[in-house]
Amino acid sequence: MKKELNVVGARLPMLDAAQKAKGAALFTDDLILPGMLHGKVLRSPLPHAKILNIDTSKAEKLVGVKGIVTGEDIPDRLYGIVPMAKDEYALAKGKVRYIGDDVAAVCAIDPEIAEEALELITVDYEELPAVFDPFEAKKDGAPVIHDGIKNNTSFAIQKEFGDVKKAFAESDAVFEDTFFSQAVNHAPLEPHAALAQFDPLNGELTIWCATQIPFFLRRNLSNTLQIPESKVRVIKPKVGGGFGQKIDLFAKDFCAAWFAMHLGKPVKFLYDREEVFISTRQRHPMYITVKTGIKKDGTILAQKFKSVADGGAYNSTAPTMMALSCFFLMIPYKVPNLFYEGYHVYTNKPVGGAMRGHGIPQARFAVERQLDLMAGRLGLDPAEVRLKNSIHAGEPHSAGFVINTCGFSESVKKAADAIGWKEKRGKLPRGRGVGLAGASFPSGVSNMSHISSGAVVQVGRDGAVNVLSGAADIGQGAETVISQIVAEELGVRLDDIRITAADTGITPLDPGTFGSGVTVRAGNAAKLAAAAVKQKLFKFLADKLEANVADLVARDRKIFVKGSPEKGLTFLEALKTYQYADLPMPIVGRGSWMAPADEPTTLFKQDGNFAPNYSFMTQAAEVEVDLITGQVKLLRMVTAHDCGQPINPMLVEGQLEGSVVGGMGQALYENVIVEKGQMMNPSFLDYGFPTFLEMPKIEAIEIETDDPVGPYGAKEAGEGTQLSPAPAIVNAIYDAIGVDFMELPITPEKILDALEAKKKKE
Amino acid sequence: MRLPKFEYFEPKNIKEAGAILKNESSAKILAGGTDLLVNMKHRVECPAVIVNIKRIGELDYIRQDNGDIRIGALTPLKRLHMTALITENFAGLAEAAFAVGSYHHQVMGTLAGNICQQNRCMYFNQSKWWRSSRPTCYKAGGEICHVVNKKEICYSTYCGDMTPALLVLNAKISLTGIDGTREILIEELFSGDGKAPLSLKPDEILTEISIPPDANKGVASYIKFANRDSIDFPIVGTALWASIEKKEYRVAFTAVDRKPVRGQNVEAFLKGKKLDEKTIKAASALAAKEAKPLKTSVYSPSHKRRMMGQLLQSALNKVVRRSTQ
Amino acid sequence: MKQAIELNINGDVHEILVATHHTLLEVLRDQLGLTGTKRGCDLGACGACTVLIEGEAYLSCLMLAVDAIGKQVVTIEGLSEAGDLHPLQSAFVDQGALQCGFCTPGMILTAKAILDEEKHPTEEVIKQKMAGNLCRCTGYKKVVEAVMRVAEESGQEV
Repeated sequence: MKKELNVVGARLPMLDAAQKAKGAALFTDDLILPGMLHGKVLRSPLPHAKILNIDTSKAEKLVGVKGIVTGEDIPDRLYGIVPMAKDEYALAKGKVRYIGDDVAAVCAIDPEIAEEALELITVDYEELPAVFDPFEAKKDGAPVIHDGIKNNTSFAIQKEFGDVKKAFAESDAVFEDTFFSQAVNHAPLEPHAALAQFDPLNGELTIWCATQIPFFLRRNLSNTLQIPESKVRVIKPKVGGGFGQKIDLFAKDFCAAWFAMHLGKPVKFLYDREEVFISTRQRHPMYITVKTGIKKDGTILAQKFKSVADGGAYNSTAPTMMALSCFFLMIPYKVPNLFYEGYHVYTNKPVGGAMRGHGIPQARFAVERQLDLMAGRLGLDPAEVRLKNSIHAGEPHSAGFVINTCGFSESVKKAADAIGWKEKRGKLPRGRGVGLAGASFPSGVSNMSHISSGAVVQVGRDGAVNVLSGAADIGQGAETVISQIVAEELGVRLDDIRITAADTGITPLDPGTFGSGVTVRAGNAAKLAAAAVKQKLFKFLADKLEANVADLVARDRKIFVKGSPEKGLTFLEALKTYQYADLPMPIVGRGSWMAPADEPTTLFKQDGNFAPNYSFMTQAAEVEVDLITGQVKLLRMVTAHDCGQPINPMLVEGQLEGSVVGGMGQALYENVIVEKGQMMNPSFLDYGFPTFLEMPKIEAIEIETDDPVGPYGAKEAGEGTQLSPAPAIVNAIYDAIGVDFMELPITPEKILDALEAKKKKE
Repeated sequence: MRLPKFEYFEPKNIKEAGAILKNESSAKILAGGTDLLVNMKHRVECPAVIVNIKRIGELDYIRQDNGDIRIGALTPLKRLHMTALITENFAGLAEAAFAVGSYHHQVMGTLAGNICQQNRCMYFNQSKWWRSSRPTCYKAGGEICHVVNKKEICYSTYCGDMTPALLVLNAKISLTGIDGTREILIEELFSGDGKAPLSLKPDEILTEISIPPDANKGVASYIKFANRDSIDFPIVGTALWASIEKKEYRVAFTAVDRKPVRGQNVEAFLKGKKLDEKTIKAASALAAKEAKPLKTSVYSPSHKRRMMGQLLQSALNKVVRRSTQ
Repeated sequence: MKQAIELNINGDVHEILVATHHTLLEVLRDQLGLTGTKRGCDLGACGACTVLIEGEAYLSCLMLAVDAIGKQVVTIEGLSEAGDLHPLQSAFVDQGALQCGFCTPGMILTAKAILDEEKHPTEEVIKQKMAGNLCRCTGYKKVVEAVMRVAEESGQEV
């Protein structure tokens, strides 16, 4: 049944697009407050060391320095974005665990003096043996990075669905392969920043922060600073990209707040690009061994995974990441029996955190590569194998997921068709090849407790609609999407909507931008709030129009009786009439939304349906390998995507296109190179993510399904597409030159080495 | 990252500039600033004095002079690949200019600036804090080279794109000091010492680059191999000049040694030979031995050597293809 | 000791106190409140700090403020007159060529420099000349489409 939609489904520019194009959009570092001071963080040059003494006396004497803080001065409150994995202090206490660890902070009248002051702080370290490889770190006798954490394994997960041993015995073939996915950096264009201000009269802290998680940040600041949450206000200005790197509380947030509270002046911290690379977060390098029991016809019977994540010096999102990496192996293919063993291991290196896909890209790389390997060994077509194992909507799921809508098989067929699979696979001249890979992603993981969203919609007599939402727009267009949903519900235009978002002092709760849950969760909350407003109006108008509430329609800034458009009023007339009937204005509607669940579930203790809905996609790549230089050019990437009903197809395309290029970066161009714990390429010059010239031709194919849970049928579109470009490309490289790569990235050097090795064999 | 403080001069002419340089041993010339200012932010170059020579008008030109092509030192790189005289006669030079950094760098950067750029090393081109994880390297004022773990030696790599393209044209450069100007072959500018890569007298400034008349009697090309097609320094750059008629070839490489390298063995081998498949293969194999790069970047020396051969192979193949068209 | 200098920014002459080691980027953002020009890396490798100097695209993080004396500097704020969007800005907005918007001012100014130099550049030329402007959000496709649209439509000086 084709939906009649006016605003939802329309290609509309973001609400703040013009502001951004004019350079008028204000990011955290653009904000200035009178008397503002500037802070800088001193970082450890050693990968693992005891802090014996910190001498700040010289720095304190530097003219212009207003304050210095070290781990000694701060409360003994551990922090962690996942409470069960708290292992960090805002500034290192007692020891440092990686090159880049936060040791002290200076606050001064200008950033230059703050930088100078850092050099005047002397830290006496006692160097400790360090460990840089997770397998070494796991061994008995390895240096202990966090006290009490045995074998440096801060988190382990083991899960079984079904009976894997039995299923292997029943398989026609069992294949085991090991893969490696490298560390990459989010590298958002906006460096991390925070600006804090404290009002001593009422004890309230306000912090403007480039964050994806205003409410979690509020909670964590309240905890580490030991002031009530109600006295902490987090305001999110425009954020210049996050991709997961702006989740977490960082030294800058804590120290800006600390100095603001102690010095009585506003304090700004801005990280420089090197700090963003080294001292924020990156995607976990992961070693994954997959053992799959499969039938001759390509049907998967069982999969056994062993996954070791190189966590770096702290946990960040470790438990969540490992769990996601495990559970989302259960989509998009039917895996009737699954055994997963995963370890998050500390090393004295930069810290892994959430990065677009959050543990799933690494797992997806392993699964999708192995599917192709197995297809080859069994003499089957890789596209056919994927179709054969595809899950479908409404089928029972071995892990209890509820799949109401699933366009996966269609995405495989469409992507394969669009790339020219039948004509090209195995048939192109040497150096050219096609490959594909499938993926699926949850629209927010509801199974994490307390993940709910609230919204308030208010309509005044002038017809302007005000929306309050806690959603954190970091550039993906969340505010626009939410506004489109409200506009659709109320039958008005996007232009009529004003949205205030992500201010913990004003807007309702929202967990933030992660896990791709915003459209479904915050969108649904806003839809409910708008529906509540509409109900009030409709109830009142039903009498006036002599109709039933159920027969009223709101569309095109009008409210009228279905089938008789002349029996109606304009939206403005309706509001005026409402007001003149002495009914209270503005009309306010509220909504809260949480993913439906029959039972309370958590990722770690109780299985069940982990997400309100799931997106499905297939990427098909065409590559050209230069046999002389080894350079791989991604010529074309087709991404066939089922995100239910796209709320704004132009914004969805933006997400898909950005995801594809990011995935290509991981496959071919990017690598966080670490030598003895030190990142060797912490700059935009040396950490080369793709430019305009590396851009492939990108074709996005929409596969529309109508999800019952998503607002207007929507599902996520922000992260799923970054799961499989890398394996699609590596699968295509096999088609081009007959070499199977088991690790990322694929550099020209590796290509040439492989070609030479192949030549020698022949 | 803030710049360190310095004394600043805007001399009105080259002589004045030279006098300032002579007076202050740590003084540095500021042209486009895309190399120097980055190094200053990293605190690996902290000149007490900066001499901005951009306001000296007469250094931005491309002209013909008795068969020589003379290019002013401050000619923006962009001008080189947008001027017909260069693109039509010295394609390799235009290709090299087109390959430097990004478009912005070609707008801001100058020919002399690219030629005289500071050598590079992954232990050197880092912030002061980054470098504090280990003893200061020899090039940055300390004692030890972290590439080879030896004292008082520097293996930093010369990575300019323009120089190899100029080398194969047998270009000359003019160096002007307070007492006058001398002209040398461009290769004589490079000392081979990673710590002090340029053989310049204290008051000397590179003012002009000249290309001899015989340069356009052959076909020149420059192929850059880098991680991305913009912004990046070369992993290896290869310049070729070929005269199919005379069977004379000139080959130069960048990013493989402490100075740009002229492939003398390859040139000797190719001289007088016809470019068939066998010859090209043999030349490539020789090319890979023309330098012994060390690990001054994240790219392995063996890969660099291999790429010297591969790029030469590509360049020679291109010459063959064009000559048969 | 700082010195008083005059800078011409977006047609306005500003008298300010600067030290010779201040970059143009710092002066624009910290002294003149023109925060549209962004600091992405401060080392010239991302293009977020792009400004136009005499119509050409420059990396303001690698320019001394004193080096801009006597030059016409245009920042993103100087592109729209009295609230109207410049055709490039409109194209970026309409085509969805921006997401977080951080790289956008640099992108638009570089695009303007390209179109001022060549009215109808090819897609290849646009990609070549904009490659120094990094973006992590868009994947570049819609940016190219937006600039191409203006390149195809413009019959006169942009």
